[in-house]
Amino acid sequence: MEDERRMSTRTRKVAPKMAAALASADNRTQAALARLEALENDNAGIETVEINDDDDEASLDDDEEGYTQKRHSKGTKRKTRQAKALEDARKAPRSFLELLHEANLESLPPHVPSYLKAAVGPPSSTSRRYFCTVCGFAASYTCVKCGMRFCCIRCQNIHNDTRCLKFVA
Amino acid sequence: MYSNKPCTYASSFSDMSNVVVLDNGGGLIKAGHGGERDPAVIIPNCLYRPLSSKKFIHPSPTTTEDLTSAAVRRPIDRGYLINTDLQRDIWAHLFSSLLHVTPSASSLLLTEPLFTLPSIQRATDELVFEDFNFKSLFVADSPSLVHLYEASRRPYGLVSKAQCSLVVDCGFSFTHAAPVFQNFTVNYAVKRIDLGGKALTNYLKELVSYRAINVMDETFIIDDVKEKLCFVSLDVARDLQIARKRGKDNLLRCTYVLPDGVTHTKGFVKDPDAAKKYLSLSDGSLPKPLETEKDVGQTEVTNATRDRKRIDLTKNEFDLTNERFLVPEMIFQPADLGMNEAGLAECIVRSVNSCQSYLQSVLYESIILTGGSTLFPCFAERLERELRPLVPDNYQVKITTQEDPILGVWRGGSLLASSPDFEAMCVTKADYEELGSARCRRRFFH
Repeated sequence: MEDERRMSTRTRKVAPKMAAALASADNRTQAALARLEALENDNAGIETVEINDDDDEASLDDDEEGYTQKRHSKGTKRKTRQAKALEDARKAPRSFLELLHEANLESLPPHVPSYLKAAVGPPSSTSRRYFCTVCGFAASYTCVKCGMRFCCIRCQNIHNDTRCLKFVA
Repeated sequence: MYSNKPCTYASSFSDMSNVVVLDNGGGLIKAGHGGERDPAVIIPNCLYRPLSSKKFIHPSPTTTEDLTSAAVRRPIDRGYLINTDLQRDIWAHLFSSLLHVTPSASSLLLTEPLFTLPSIQRATDELVFEDFNFKSLFVADSPSLVHLYEASRRPYGLVSKAQCSLVVDCGFSFTHAAPVFQNFTVNYAVKRIDLGGKALTNYLKELVSYRAINVMDETFIIDDVKEKLCFVSLDVARDLQIARKRGKDNLLRCTYVLPDGVTHTKGFVKDPDAAKKYLSLSDGSLPKPLETEKDVGQTEVTNATRDRKRIDLTKNEFDLTNERFLVPEMIFQPADLGMNEAGLAECIVRSVNSCQSYLQSVLYESIILTGGSTLFPCFAERLERELRPLVPDNYQVKITTQEDPILGVWRGGSLLASSPDFEAMCVTKADYEELGSARCRRRFFH
């Protein structure tokens, strides 16, 4: 997001891990991408919900299977836990991004239109408006710790108290 | 599977056109019989689980469930069908108990997003032919159907005379600008922005949750808020100033009351008149001070009386000010969100520029807006204002809105399904079994 951040030349005395986090705009970019990715989620907490659901079903299936297997002869090959997990992973619906990766559209010749080539691409003007992450109005300041925007000292305080994520965001 | 069920409905519908037209959107399924004007069934393309239920259930168009904090499962991710099991479940319910059709005795006209991956196409074909046993299938893309519908509505208009148009489809999962020429989508010129209604709802959810009440689980309520309160600003800087004002000068502040689960299970806008006050802004550059003051005075009086009547719900409502226009603003300026993508106006220009130069002037004159996210008030005006400076002076810009943008694609499909040579264009089940998915797909020229 902010590749050309101006860094001061003063040497900072911070732990090496922190320094790495500060120096790379990468973390911030990653956080920004994660935030964009979250906009396509169906439910805020779907991961936990769905996994619980699946576990319930899976455990039920397990019980049934175990029951039938006990009743029948041992001749059938018993599935190992690992094999079952692999099979489940194969059966589980994959996300669109995984499918896209699998389709390997990059290998198509350049004149073939594809999903990747239909993307609109970056805007022609590089200027960007910034809005305060707290109140939504035009923001003139950037949080020195995490790079989020705010417009006034009141919003800064709220930001610091609530979601300033040092070295993470 | 489905085909094993007894065919009880076959006789009653034998006289009707037995083409099922299915616009399988990421947000809504629009389904009905070919040849009719409106789809018979419109349901959300999802299963949901309200708090009162332990299982995921099918949404039904009639009963009103309490959807507070309902969890959702959607078969479609980023516009493309990824979960065929879930989709099979939803379709089975749709065909048997809502639409009452027998798939083995009918053809299917299915819409598919542009650039569907081959693996997804294969899965879709399997679903249609192997799980549901449809007699034949035609896969259409939505821009060409919208074009077909608009061309047939105005037989002497430019769209049908020139046989080309630029369809801007701003839907649930993404936004496409797609030129259509002689009923075929010009696929090398299609441009896409990865923003649609779902992202906007989620963004609004995030903003409200941070600033007022945690509504991260309330997808359906925030959808409603978005539909009722959001609008496209014609002048963002001016509207931001207005949104900053206090008290009655702030024409944009609006209160939404969340459902309490006792007296009302649906949320509502506290003062619908106040919610429309921004419309007085959009005409001129500045509102006439006298008039608006009077307006505000009146509404405040009614407000006060209403407030007295109503029980105090202070904890169950939230105010929206700048969120109302900053959320739809994202479609015009995705960069605001940190997305490295051009806005809608630029998207249109790039799409037109990749077409033949003879087509360009006609395309700018026949822009058709479709898709649910174009329903925001002032959407077309704003688009025209942004587009005009980007288009060469000697070209005219004309933007047409559809009368019902959500149903536009379906109506085009219904029209196509009732055309005499429809059956000849389809891929039959025998073809599919003989040739397989990939070779059948070539027939659709996508």
